[in-house]
Amino acid sequence: MTDNHPFGSGMFQGQAKFVDYAHMNQQEVQVNTLDEPVLDTLLRDINMILYKLSYVIIPRMKETQGRKLRNWDLWGPLLLSLLLAMTLGINSNQSSDTIFGTIFIIMWGGSAVITVNAKLLGGQVSFFQSVCVLGYCVFPINVAAVVITFLQSYFGFFLRLIIVGVAFLWSTFSSLSFMSSMMNEEKKVISVYPIFLFYMFLSWFCIFI
Amino acid sequence: MEFFQEEEEEHPEQKGCCAFLTVQYYQPYFNVSEDDVIDRIKASFLPFRKDFHERVAGNPDLWGPLWISATIIFLITAVANINQMNFEGQTTYSVDYVPQSAALLYCISFGTPVILTIVMKILGSDIRFFHTVCLYGYSMSILMPITILCVLRNSYVQWCLVGYGMISSSSFLIMGMRKILGDLEQAKRYIIVGIVLAMQFSLYLLYKLVFFKVIEKNSTE
Repeated sequence: MTDNHPFGSGMFQGQAKFVDYAHMNQQEVQVNTLDEPVLDTLLRDINMILYKLSYVIIPRMKETQGRKLRNWDLWGPLLLSLLLAMTLGINSNQSSDTIFGTIFIIMWGGSAVITVNAKLLGGQVSFFQSVCVLGYCVFPINVAAVVITFLQSYFGFFLRLIIVGVAFLWSTFSSLSFMSSMMNEEKKVISVYPIFLFYMFLSWFCIFI
Repeated sequence: MEFFQEEEEEHPEQKGCCAFLTVQYYQPYFNVSEDDVIDRIKASFLPFRKDFHERVAGNPDLWGPLWISATIIFLITAVANINQMNFEGQTTYSVDYVPQSAALLYCISFGTPVILTIVMKILGSDIRFFHTVCLYGYSMSILMPITILCVLRNSYVQWCLVGYGMISSSSFLIMGMRKILGDLEQAKRYIIVGIVLAMQFSLYLLYKLVFFKVIEKNSTE
């Protein structure tokens, strides 16, 4: 399909094949992206998001395996925050716009403040990488919120508490496996406590849907 | 700006006209470890001991004020929602407490030191701004156990807790500012003590009336 494209001759050979962009480095990706069809761009971004989510679902403690996550992107956190805010907003009877706004601000403002806090305490953390990791690790809480929304009538309060509790522990553990290597050794507890508070805050809203 | 002269002399990275807009400006105020923070919180619960002032002496921190207030915002949201939940058996869930409590707590814990610093500088005393912010931030820590205990839905108990909190935090603040107040004249001292007490009173009153109003069983709310 690129044969008819005015700028495409010579850049691509034949049909679009599925290239594993998640494993290419930043420079290779930059060169090729201008002329490709929109579907390729979307598929590539979605692939990258899913790839990163797989790291969240199976937290890996070894730092070398997390190196691929250094290519930060903010699409994933944006989608997850919108999904969470909408899920929690749909279910409340009143003031759904307040809930949407509150969740959104807590998530983005909270990630920014936690990152600045870690930096000021002497950690070696890059701002956007940290915001990216904290955003992606909200995924288990998202899953819990969606599950509780759709299966509401089957769940009593204690079952909800257990589901949300599991999601909270999963999120926290997952983000710690990336963040703790970047924190200052002596001040680990006070660097990590805000992350714990952040996920606790977001999980709390899920219990009360 | 001569308001911050002592701080600028101690920390060279704070020089410059708009230095307070950079992140590095606040670096010196995060030199604490978890043991320090826990000691300072413990010292704030016992206002008549002189521990806090010795511990903080040359090293005020901003971690405490920031995250103690954040914890209290979370606890207020949690406990106020639990209170509403138990009552009707259903969850009428109010998210409004988050922006309200954030505004209340952060205005008191950061706004009052600004007012006090301005007033004290005009009255001619040398007050350290970040030291006052640190003092105010840790004075909020008594609200943590009070909020948890306010799960009990008895109006009388809640007023007692709030009253105790007000007395404890006010005495903590006044003891913390003892040295600075000692340098002032009698009449000016009363102004400052008056400002401190008025702000604490309004904080605790609003805290009780906004977040923990007890709904009468007969009302249709």
